[in-house]
Amino acid sequence: MRVTTRFQLAAAVAAVGVLLAPAAQAVPSFARQTGMACAACHTVFPELTHFGRVFKANGYVLDNLKQVRAVNSERQQLLSLSQLPTFSIMTQISYTTLNKRLPDETNPAAPGLTQNGTAGFPQQLSLFYAGKIAPHFGVFSQITYGNDSGTIGIDNTDLRFAKLIVLPGKNTLTYGLSLNNNPTVQDLWNSTPAWGFPYDASNAVVSPLAATQIDGTLAQSVAGLTGYLYYDESLYVEFGGYRSAPQGQTNALTGQAGPLDGTFSNVIEGFAPYWRLAYEYDWRANSLEVGTYGADFKLYPGGGTALTGPDNRFADVAEDFQYQYVGEQNIVTVAGTHIHENMNLGASYLAGAAANRSDSLNTTRIWANYFYERRYGGQIGWFSTTGTTDTALYPPSATPPCTNSAGTSIACGVVTSANGSPDTDGLIGEVSYLPWLNVRLSLQYTHYTKFNGASNNYDGEGRNASDNDSLYFLLWYAF
Amino acid sequence: MYIHQTVRTWLRRGFLAAFAAMFTFASLPSGAQGAPTPPQQAPQLAIAVCGTCHGVDGNSINPMFPRLAGQKAWYIKQQLKEFRAQTRGDPYAVAYMWGMANQLSNATIDALANYFSHQTPGPGTPHSPAVIAQGRAIFEHGIPTQGVPACAACHGPQALGTNLFPRLAGQHAEYILKQLQSFQNNMRKVAIMHGVAQTLHKSQMKEVADYLESLP
Repeated sequence: MRVTTRFQLAAAVAAVGVLLAPAAQAVPSFARQTGMACAACHTVFPELTHFGRVFKANGYVLDNLKQVRAVNSERQQLLSLSQLPTFSIMTQISYTTLNKRLPDETNPAAPGLTQNGTAGFPQQLSLFYAGKIAPHFGVFSQITYGNDSGTIGIDNTDLRFAKLIVLPGKNTLTYGLSLNNNPTVQDLWNSTPAWGFPYDASNAVVSPLAATQIDGTLAQSVAGLTGYLYYDESLYVEFGGYRSAPQGQTNALTGQAGPLDGTFSNVIEGFAPYWRLAYEYDWRANSLEVGTYGADFKLYPGGGTALTGPDNRFADVAEDFQYQYVGEQNIVTVAGTHIHENMNLGASYLAGAAANRSDSLNTTRIWANYFYERRYGGQIGWFSTTGTTDTALYPPSATPPCTNSAGTSIACGVVTSANGSPDTDGLIGEVSYLPWLNVRLSLQYTHYTKFNGASNNYDGEGRNASDNDSLYFLLWYAF
Repeated sequence: MYIHQTVRTWLRRGFLAAFAAMFTFASLPSGAQGAPTPPQQAPQLAIAVCGTCHGVDGNSINPMFPRLAGQKAWYIKQQLKEFRAQTRGDPYAVAYMWGMANQLSNATIDALANYFSHQTPGPGTPHSPAVIAQGRAIFEHGIPTQGVPACAACHGPQALGTNLFPRLAGQHAEYILKQLQSFQNNMRKVAIMHGVAQTLHKSQMKEVADYLESLP
């Protein structure tokens, strides 16, 4: 039972991670390094413009600062270091209310309701070093304090080596390597999960149970090395692999960071391949990208069982598109992605953590943004996850008093599914005002039409999907 | 053990050496790596960095960014030096080019100007004949009742520019409109153009901008 519980817990935590996946960040570090305003690389942060994509593909190394240099007698550059370090800080301060308060079972004998209205002060505080390290070597690195963890941890990281060559006919070819800790964090478009919609999200809401692996589930717990080609700033091909690189856990025997053993959960077996193919067409102030991406993760459940024997396989194949119009005053973005995941849950099925040997999940998100003069704007998006009904993977509420066999208190409902279905869909609407380019005030409303399998009484405890609707106010700034 | 054997095999075969060669930090920067850029690299810099916005051959596709192909070399040099000195104050100059030109040496500026001035300008962009006729009238004869002189008098009858005035033919209409507005409100301080644009209405600016964009 321990295995079951831990797997479910891991799945739930992973799912929660998705909607919490902190949103992408724009970094003043890059503005400091290039001397260019945010508008060069971003429509409105964190969304990238074409120039921003090219800057990223070329390794974050474009700089217009005075350098400390060293060369040898063959004129090879041994050092090219900005005289000022390109650090920056980002803060998110938020206030979130839920449509209906959650049950509070702190004392099962006298249940109550939670306080509504969560102040995140800060919700998140991040320190970045982002920019050039050496002539062809750059980094986007972030460490983050979150009020949920109460600790400082590694956040999105993307180390790049890139070189550009000019081909006959003046076409350009950039080739490079990315060493990163979140599949798609290295991607150039905002239609893929790591930097995608919603660009900001509360961490004081109820998140649905199901999410695909490539959709942020493995963020910051993997290490990936990918190689890419970027031809003529339009055709992008990338291939690489990810290996587990968990944080904050140790080998049970040695007490050291590794080797990984059965203490760890959802450990990638070997390397998980990752691939990406995208094409962008630009005309006048418009750009249109269509692409596909995916990965194949074989995971040992771990969490109390040795990392051998049957595994769970998650094969993710996704498509995405992004249209942008970046005009003098008006900026419009329409983007979307669809992720299909085939799950072969050999390990979980044997352990009783999945009712089916194989399941599937489909996640779709489509959204549109509009901004006027990069100052006033809004976003609306639709999201949907559908999948195979699996009463063990998406478990129903426990019987009160809501403790598991180990005596640990677990939720009686809310984060469960009465019918074992992961189906969730809804809408997010947001209005934003940017008094300055690096300060954003947003008011966001999330409405669920379906949550964990049903619109009404989805958890069997009387909670409706729309009870999880939330109103989120965010002050987001970076400097 | 297997991985150790594999590494030894690779070493024997020189794969790692080849790999290292591919990613070696060869010679001087490819242009995107800061200042001072050696002047002999200007075409590389022009294509790899400037080209992202202005087009690799100076024929930008995005009307926010001016076309530089065939522009007078002296004018490109002058503008780059104004960006570097942070004296050209129209919004896009401030947001983009102040930073971009920050560390350019005079020699690099000369080489960039040389590169773009020798590129072949693209064909003009068609507009409605009625608008073009209006714009052409302003360009060739000015608007005497508003005290607006003929643009052609300085920029040349085909708007190809001279040793004192820049080329305007084939330039993006949106860019010309934005510049005329910046001259008018003095964000871009050029006394002669402030005088010219002072009384122009937006519709007139647009007509002349469309006409200029239609020219090859």
